[in-house]
Amino acid sequence: MDNKTNLYEGMYILSASLSDDARQKALDKIIAGITKRGGELCKVFDLGRKKLAYEINRKRDGHYVLLYFTTVTSAIADMWKEYHLNEDLIRFLTLRTETVPEKIEFKPLPEQS
Amino acid sequence: MLKKSPVENLFSRKKKQCPFIAAGIRHIDYKDIELLSRFITERGKILPRRITGISFDFQRKLCLAIKRARHMALLPFVLEE
Repeated sequence: MDNKTNLYEGMYILSASLSDDARQKALDKIIAGITKRGGELCKVFDLGRKKLAYEINRKRDGHYVLLYFTTVTSAIADMWKEYHLNEDLIRFLTLRTETVPEKIEFKPLPEQS
Repeated sequence: MLKKSPVENLFSRKKKQCPFIAAGIRHIDYKDIELLSRFITERGKILPRRITGISFDFQRKLCLAIKRARHMALLPFVLEE
């Protein structure tokens, strides 16, 4: 069971205080962490700089990045350990998904009378 | 056929339909902040099912999505007034 390959969705909040170059480097480091464990990157969405809903480590803003990748189940726990040591990364979330979306867009819920 | 008494009519209310089932949505995404913020109070609490009329299944899904969004600082845990 541990060697099953799945599609994952990872959301990362990178520190907004980083310069563009440093942020790209931090993102490359995350991507390298995926590929070196036998994973394959499917898609990258740069969601841009956003205001955090609450302060995290005295930071008010964050740069959101969404990655879609396939990897083996056992690699996830290993990756998380690495993420906890990464200081450029404010928060992360890794979830299993079924499909890679074309774009991040949601249709609004119709109003009910 | 039994006729409904007027007292019963007084207390019978039209049942709300689950907005997610009505719209044909299957999955609630934690990234959809516009939708999620409709189901939280001004303070940031999750609204109860009896007010929104969401079905049991979707309330659970919504709850999970809101909690994920809170973790990623997309939604607040508490909003101070």
